[in-house]
Amino acid sequence: MDMLKYKAMFLTEAQEHLQKMGSLLVDVEADPNNRSGIDALFREAHSIKGMAASMGYLQTAELSHHLEDSLDLFRQQGEISAEAIDHMLAGVDLIELLLADIDAGREERNVQSFCTGVNPIDELAEIAAEGSQPVGEESHLQISLQLHDKVVSPAARLLVITRQLTKFGKILHSDPTEEQILRGGNSRQLVVLVQSRLAVNEIRSCLENYSEISHVDVEAPETKTAESSAGAGATVRVGTDLLDRFISLTGELITNRYMLQSAAGEKDWGLLRDGLGRLGRLVKDLHHQVLQVRMMPIDSVTGRLPRLVRDLARKSNKEIRFELEGGGIELDRAILEELGDPLIHLVRNAVDHGIEEQGTITLRAWRQRDQVMLQVADNGRGMDPAMLRQSAVQKGLISPAQAESMRDYDVLQLVCLPGFSTASELTETSGRGVGMDVVKAAVEKLGGVLHIDAAPGRGTRFTLKLPLSVAIIKVLRINVDAKQVALPITRVLQTIEVERGQIQTSGKQRVFSFNEELLPLVSLRKILNLPIPKAAERVAVVVTEVLGRKIGLVVDGFAGQSEVFVQGLPSPIDRLRGLSGGTILGDGRIVFILDIQGLLERKR
Amino acid sequence: MPQRVLIVDDALFMRHLLRDIFSSAGWDVVGEAANGNEALQQYQELRPNLVTMDIVMPERSGIDALQDILALDSDAVVIMCSALGQESMVMEAIHNGAKDFIVKPFQQEQVLEIVSRIFG
Repeated sequence: MDMLKYKAMFLTEAQEHLQKMGSLLVDVEADPNNRSGIDALFREAHSIKGMAASMGYLQTAELSHHLEDSLDLFRQQGEISAEAIDHMLAGVDLIELLLADIDAGREERNVQSFCTGVNPIDELAEIAAEGSQPVGEESHLQISLQLHDKVVSPAARLLVITRQLTKFGKILHSDPTEEQILRGGNSRQLVVLVQSRLAVNEIRSCLENYSEISHVDVEAPETKTAESSAGAGATVRVGTDLLDRFISLTGELITNRYMLQSAAGEKDWGLLRDGLGRLGRLVKDLHHQVLQVRMMPIDSVTGRLPRLVRDLARKSNKEIRFELEGGGIELDRAILEELGDPLIHLVRNAVDHGIEEQGTITLRAWRQRDQVMLQVADNGRGMDPAMLRQSAVQKGLISPAQAESMRDYDVLQLVCLPGFSTASELTETSGRGVGMDVVKAAVEKLGGVLHIDAAPGRGTRFTLKLPLSVAIIKVLRINVDAKQVALPITRVLQTIEVERGQIQTSGKQRVFSFNEELLPLVSLRKILNLPIPKAAERVAVVVTEVLGRKIGLVVDGFAGQSEVFVQGLPSPIDRLRGLSGGTILGDGRIVFILDIQGLLERKR
Repeated sequence: MPQRVLIVDDALFMRHLLRDIFSSAGWDVVGEAANGNEALQQYQELRPNLVTMDIVMPERSGIDALQDILALDSDAVVIMCSALGQESMVMEAIHNGAKDFIVKPFQQEQVLEIVSRIFG
């Protein structure tokens, strides 16, 4: 029996049950007499117990059995106390650690003390807290360090350090390896995986004393595994009706092939044409169905949020309700994967800065034509554009003149500038380096847009507009100097032709009037370092938004819209800023998809 | 009881410098050698806790002397002294059993830090 294959399935399913338990516990905490909630919890714990027992994961089975027993008692009583909820949540966290043990191939940690009720919360705090693992227990730790630029003979230094790291434990893996260091190289970085009995803090403080080391990080990589195994795994669950459609499509393709073969054999061009037309439709259908396999409900990334809000609210002594609407809406898994961290950050921000003492945070998802909207809203004090203006001028991010002429909408977007984090943003909950700039970048990388709307007393709303799928997008094809390039339609506000007479100059900048606004004209030829021809009677302009401001991009002409399959660019082209992918047109031409913001940033 | 060190370098002023560094840190400089052959001889006689070994020396190089000493005593603690640009030789030495290295011109803190890492 191939236990490995079943292990992956077990882990995915167990994670789903755990997430469900977490959500249910938060619900029941808000409504302790919720009988059906307690029943559901019992069933989830029962499922995990069964699965773990059949796979031979005894500690996991024992812990789930313990939780199941307690839940049985509670469902008979019809209610569950607050301490019991805390104990259950601690149990769920411990099962998560056990799953991480199983995933990493380690022996499951012992759960005896938790089940016998001996200081369960303290024990958990010990296990879960970084750097304070019980001494003597071996664990895998990842040490990353960087040498100062001024260190001479860095390779030799790394070699010595690699050897010295063996005093911490057994080196399982190092990057670069000793052989690589010996062969020479300019690396000043070293990442080592060590099996050690020492605590994270001990190792870190020892290495921090090395004057050659400018930066050192020691982490227990299993925390990363636990976090990343929630959500998109390496396997996908596909509905059987979808599979049936694949089978019938395959059947039709086979029939189609015979039709094309005989048409070609009889030189029946009419029949061939029909056959090819049919083939085109079948391929399009197949492609669409395959993409459906990648679609997952938004629930899969939002599932952890109710628990997160509850824990954060507890920590900061706030009363916060979390509502989720539209969790069933589906998005491509690649998009969902990218959204996990940004959503967590937005929700954390809402807890930290949006809500003062009590309030509601709502995550709403809905479809709008071929886009999906995700909104994180809070009904707290609301960001104040006036204060943001002041703050931005103080930080030197904008000039006082700009502050005065900017609209509130653009002022709010300023929080996405990298330099913007205020002191209060560096709280423990908002830490980890995912700032608003990273959120915005993640959204735009997916071809989406981030809208921010807020006013004092009216709360704050962050809205993410996302395309349904990353794989196929609609683009606007543009002619520029005998080449064709493309822009994702989601980035195009409007295409217009501007007469020469409508163009004015404001200082050195050419501008034109659009919807009662004056927008700067930017030449795509200039950005791409192409020769600029004489001014024509009228120019083709694409109105788009970069860095939060609308601009008019001057192009040679429009070549139409197409739905294209975006391909990632191969190395090293993928490192060029300003290109977000490429596509091959039906006629074989290669068209690059431009990221105008990236191009303009390069020019700076 | 103070730790005992053997200083090996063909330049007299270098040996003086290292002697001063170690003495002021409480070490006992039990011997000095000016080439690889002398180094092995002195090691055999003195059995110090630590040897500082210059890499480039006449008659017998620091790397060869290192290997001689380790053949004699596999627990010997040898720290190589290199000049700038000798990285590959340093690496060869470490690969062959040197515990660490210091780079000329020597700074007292640098030398003492390296030594304290080995001797706790």
